[in-house]
Amino acid sequence: MRTEVNDKRSNEAAIDRELCIACGACTAVCPTEALIIVGISLEFFDSRCISCGVAQYACPVGALICPVSTG
Amino acid sequence: MPDERFDVVIIGAGPAGSRTAAVAAANGFSVLVLEKRERIGYPVRCAEAVGPRIDVERFLELEDRLISSPVNGAIVFAPDGTKFKAKMPGVGFVIDRELFDQSLADIAGKNGAVVRTSSQVMGLIEEDGRIAGVKVKDLENDTDYTVGARIVVGADGIEAISPRWAGLRRAFGLDEIFSCAEFTVEGIELEPDGPFIEFHLGRRFAPGGYAWVFPKGPSSANVGVGVKPSMTNGKKAIDFLGDFLEHRCPGARVKRTIVGGCGAARELQSLATDGFLVVGEAANHNNPFSGGGIINALEAADIAGGVICEALGKNDTSAGRLSVYTKKWKKSVGRNNTLFYHAAEIFYRLEDAEMDRMIRRLTSTPGIIGEKGVKPLKMLLVLGAGNPKIMFKVIGALIKKR
Repeated sequence: MRTEVNDKRSNEAAIDRELCIACGACTAVCPTEALIIVGISLEFFDSRCISCGVAQYACPVGALICPVSTG
Repeated sequence: MPDERFDVVIIGAGPAGSRTAAVAAANGFSVLVLEKRERIGYPVRCAEAVGPRIDVERFLELEDRLISSPVNGAIVFAPDGTKFKAKMPGVGFVIDRELFDQSLADIAGKNGAVVRTSSQVMGLIEEDGRIAGVKVKDLENDTDYTVGARIVVGADGIEAISPRWAGLRRAFGLDEIFSCAEFTVEGIELEPDGPFIEFHLGRRFAPGGYAWVFPKGPSSANVGVGVKPSMTNGKKAIDFLGDFLEHRCPGARVKRTIVGGCGAARELQSLATDGFLVVGEAANHNNPFSGGGIINALEAADIAGGVICEALGKNDTSAGRLSVYTKKWKKSVGRNNTLFYHAAEIFYRLEDAEMDRMIRRLTSTPGIIGEKGVKPLKMLLVLGAGNPKIMFKVIGALIKKR
C-alpha cells in the first residue's frame, strides 16, 4: 500500500475534456497513479506526475497531453 | 472504528465484482459492492462478444433481452484481404453489455449483497499489516466514510487501482495494453449466411492487435480496432478506426462511440494478500490474445467466491489461505491465458506478409472446418507445418517462459 486519492491539484490543461470520456486506458499505464478515474471523470494529480509521457500513448483518442520532461 | 462493517467489501460492480458478491452473499456473508459510476454497466466499455450459451449460462440465464445478435461463425481477414471463413453455429453471442452487467448486479442484490453506486473507493485501510477495509467517498453527497471488512476484493477493472495499493500489480507497459476505439454503426453490409464476427489483421488498421466487426443486428455492428500503443508511432486508435470504417463500411452511420483500454499482459504472480484479493480485468484475467474477458472474469469470481467463503468460515483471511485462489486460477483459465500471452507476443509482431501466408494456407487446406466448426488441432498442425520458424518460436517461448 502506498498512496491514496487525496492530494488533488488542478492541471486541466493536460486533459482535453471535449475528447476524454474517462475510459481509463491512461490510468492503466500511468506508473504513479497521477491519473485516476473518479466517478465518470478523469482526474489528474499533478504532485504525483513524473512527466514520463507514457499515458498519452495509451489514450485511444488523443485527449491527453502529458507534461513530458525535457530534462 | 469504521463507520460500517461487512464481511466482504467489493470494489467495482462489473461482472467480476457482482459475481463474487453473489457467491459470498448466497453463502450467508454480509457483502457490500461499491461502484463509482452512477449507473451500473454504463457507459459500456466493451466490444460485447461472449462465447456459447452453455458457457454464459453457468453464471446467468442468457435471456433474449440480453442478446443483440447470435454469432454463427468467424471470418479472419488477412492483411491482403484473403478471407478465412469458418461457420460455427452457436459459437457465441453479441450481448447488450449494460443490461448484462445490471442483471449480474441484480443477482448479487437478490442474494443479499448491498450494491451502492456513485461510491468511489479512495483508499484501503490497513491494520496490523493487513487490509481491513476501505475509505469511501459518496460522490452524490460529497461525503466520506469508512467501511471495515474481513476481506476486500479489488474488481475495479482496467483502471484498477486497489490492487496497486495492495502491492499486487504495477502499471501496464505500452506493449501490455490494447488501446481500443469502437463505433456502433447502422447501415453496414454483413455476410448473408452468418451472422459472423470478423477479425481484420495487419498493420494498416491495427498494428499489434486487430480490427473487428461484431454484429449487433441485421445491418448494425460494433466496429472497432485495438492497437498496441508501442507499435503505432503515436497514431491514435480512433484514427485507425476512422481508416478502417472508410475501408469496411464507408456509408455507415455512427450511433455510439466507445473507447478504452484492454489488458494484454501476462498473469499476475499472486492474486491475494492479507485480507485482499483481486479478480477480473483488475487481475489481468482477460484473454491477452483476444482481449475477451467477461466469461474469464465470471470464472475467476466463482473461484474467488468459493475461497472467500472458506476463508471466512475458518476465520483465516491471511495471504496464505487466500492464495488457494491463485493456485486454482493458475490451474484452470490462468494456464490458458499464459499460453495465449505467448502466442499473442509472437503473432501480433508478425509482418503482414507472414500473416497473409498463414491465412492463405488455412483457406487452401481442406478439412480444417468440420461439421462442428474449426478443428483446432488440425489448424495448428497446418499453421505449424507451413511456418516452421514461427512454430519453433512458439515452442521455444513455451519451454523457456512457463
